[in-house]
Amino acid sequence: MIISARNLNFAFGEGDLRKQILFDVSFDVAPGEVVLLTGPSGSGKTTLLTLIGGLRRTTEGEMTVLSRPMHHARKEDLVANRRDIGFIFQQHNLLEFLSAQKNVELMFQLHPEVPAGEARARSAEMLTKVGLGNRLDYHPSRLSGGQKQRVAIARALVTRPQLILADEPTAALDSHSGRDVVELLQSLARDRGCPILMVTHDNRVLDIADRVLSMEDGRLEESRGTEARGETETQ
Amino acid sequence: MLSSFVVAWRQLSYHRMKLAVASAGVLVAVMLMLVQLGIRQGAMDNSVAIARRVTADLVVVSPRTRTIFQSSQLPRRLLFRVGAHPEVDAIQEMYMGQARWRNPWELREHPIAVFGVDPRSPLINFRGLSELADELMLADRVVFDGLSRKSYGPVVAHLANHDFLETEMNLHRVRVIATINVGVSITGDGNVFMSPANFRRIFPQRPAGSVDLGLIRLKPGSDVEQVKRDLAPLLGAEATIITREELIDKEIAFVRESAPIDFIFGMGAAVGFFIGFVVVYQILYTEVTNHLPQFATLKAMGFSDNKLLQIVLSQGVILSVLGYVPGFVMALWVYEIATDAIQMPFSMTWQRALAVFSLTLVMCLLSAMIAIQKVRTVDPADVF
Ligand SMILES: Nc1ncnc2c1ncn2[C@@H]1O[C@H](COP(=O)(O)OP(=O)(O)OP(=O)(O)O)[C@@H](O)[C@H]1O
Ligand SMILES: [Mg+2]
Repeated sequence: MIISARNLNFAFGEGDLRKQILFDVSFDVAPGEVVLLTGPSGSGKTTLLTLIGGLRRTTEGEMTVLSRPMHHARKEDLVANRRDIGFIFQQHNLLEFLSAQKNVELMFQLHPEVPAGEARARSAEMLTKVGLGNRLDYHPSRLSGGQKQRVAIARALVTRPQLILADEPTAALDSHSGRDVVELLQSLARDRGCPILMVTHDNRVLDIADRVLSMEDGRLEESRGTEARGETETQ
Repeated sequence: MLSSFVVAWRQLSYHRMKLAVASAGVLVAVMLMLVQLGIRQGAMDNSVAIARRVTADLVVVSPRTRTIFQSSQLPRRLLFRVGAHPEVDAIQEMYMGQARWRNPWELREHPIAVFGVDPRSPLINFRGLSELADELMLADRVVFDGLSRKSYGPVVAHLANHDFLETEMNLHRVRVIATINVGVSITGDGNVFMSPANFRRIFPQRPAGSVDLGLIRLKPGSDVEQVKRDLAPLLGAEATIITREELIDKEIAFVRESAPIDFIFGMGAAVGFFIGFVVVYQILYTEVTNHLPQFATLKAMGFSDNKLLQIVLSQGVILSVLGYVPGFVMALWVYEIATDAIQMPFSMTWQRALAVFSLTLVMCLLSAMIAIQKVRTVDPADVF
């Protein structure tokens, strides 16, 4: 299993201010799966993603990500784990002073074993795959919202992560380019058999998923994806 | 791999204006530090320049003398007592005073420092003096310091076309036969050199038989400290005998005590450091703050605080260099102007250049380290 979560509980605050967000969450993500996570605003989707990504500490329950136990992990282990994960955020947060290619290339600082020439070549290649081969030297200010999000995808994928976590990557895009971005993400991940866990509000993209998880008030339930292909694999 | 250094440079150079301001801040700091420390050193060197010129092994001074520029006199007869010591090779008396020099072109008088010493083989390095010894032994012949300030008149230019220049010192007629280049100090604007006999003619009111300094040369291979110990009791309470090095130390100590040189110029340098620090900090801090979401994103993706610190530290290094190079050039230029304006030589030493560069680095790196603090505390979970 890529992700295996058992009986997760999570709360913000302590004492009187304690507010529990996740209740007894259990699920798995198998290799190569594309899993969507939906649910009303405030139901705890982002919180769950931050636990998986090791951005917050798993305190109750057990979770293993990329075969590393996340419960009671040390901070350094959490940081190390993040290097094997490709993150795509709602805000792309590209560095405006670097060109598209340099923004992507920057990720190799986390993988110093990759030689400089190879890093450059792979960055250009990945940008070409997301359709920006002719925009390598453009700075983010000269790219459209969809193009910037595609740079962010290239950035997340270029170091060949073993898992992709995406939080509403299409929220800032119109429905057409949002669909494009999601399909791009799906096909790139499929090529390499890289699993994706993506939070989305967009019902129109549910069809690309192997499985759809939905969250309601911090509780997870599996709803059938439009094409629930992955079900047999995950059991 | 895209190095932190390149990222740092890209970020700095993205906003040209900010880069210019930050570099200018460092430039001002560098220049202030170099100039202040340079003037401090110049003033210090200058005040002890005469003491450094002494070539005698031992010097006899009055116990009341704190600086040779305002020396108390000692009885000349004391000097005769030391001549009997077998290690003593030569003894010379030296006179120093301030006379009124009449600028013969403007007919106005200016104070000038006067040195009376045997011109034949002076135990003090006034280069060129001994060549003029024969003529200087004649009555009322003097040599003028070609590096004196302009207020004494165009003496050097005049002597280039004439054999001599006649003027008055302390209302006494003297003939300037040549100029030599020695250099003025902060305590005087110009120098005149002459024989002890001529000195006494210009200062007739000085008590006969009292000198300002006694210069003693020892035979080669003598133990200076030992001779000093031997001679001290001979001089009694009326005079003190010290080595050349002790004379220099004494002068340095006097300058330090009497004028707050270290404080004033040290303060100037500190102000420079502070200005640079504030400007660099301000620029780096706004850069960091403006990019907090981006840095948080990088942290979320696995960048450690240290990796991000590297980027900002690199910016500190870049700014140091960008400000230091022009600041150094400008300081050289200021040294030149100052040398001209106050006719006191300032020069760059590599020690100072290196010290100020280190200070500049510290200044920029410190700014960077404080500026990055915010990134340390930002929670990468918040970027989701
Ligand atoms: N740092 C925090 N401190 C305290 N409470 C928080 C914090 N972050 C989120 N919450 C609370 O946790 C709950 C779940 O938030 P979360 O961001 O996971 O929701 P979400 O499902 O991602 O919503 P959306 O679809 O709007 O993004 C919300 O009620 C929110 O107020
Ligand atoms: Mg959310």
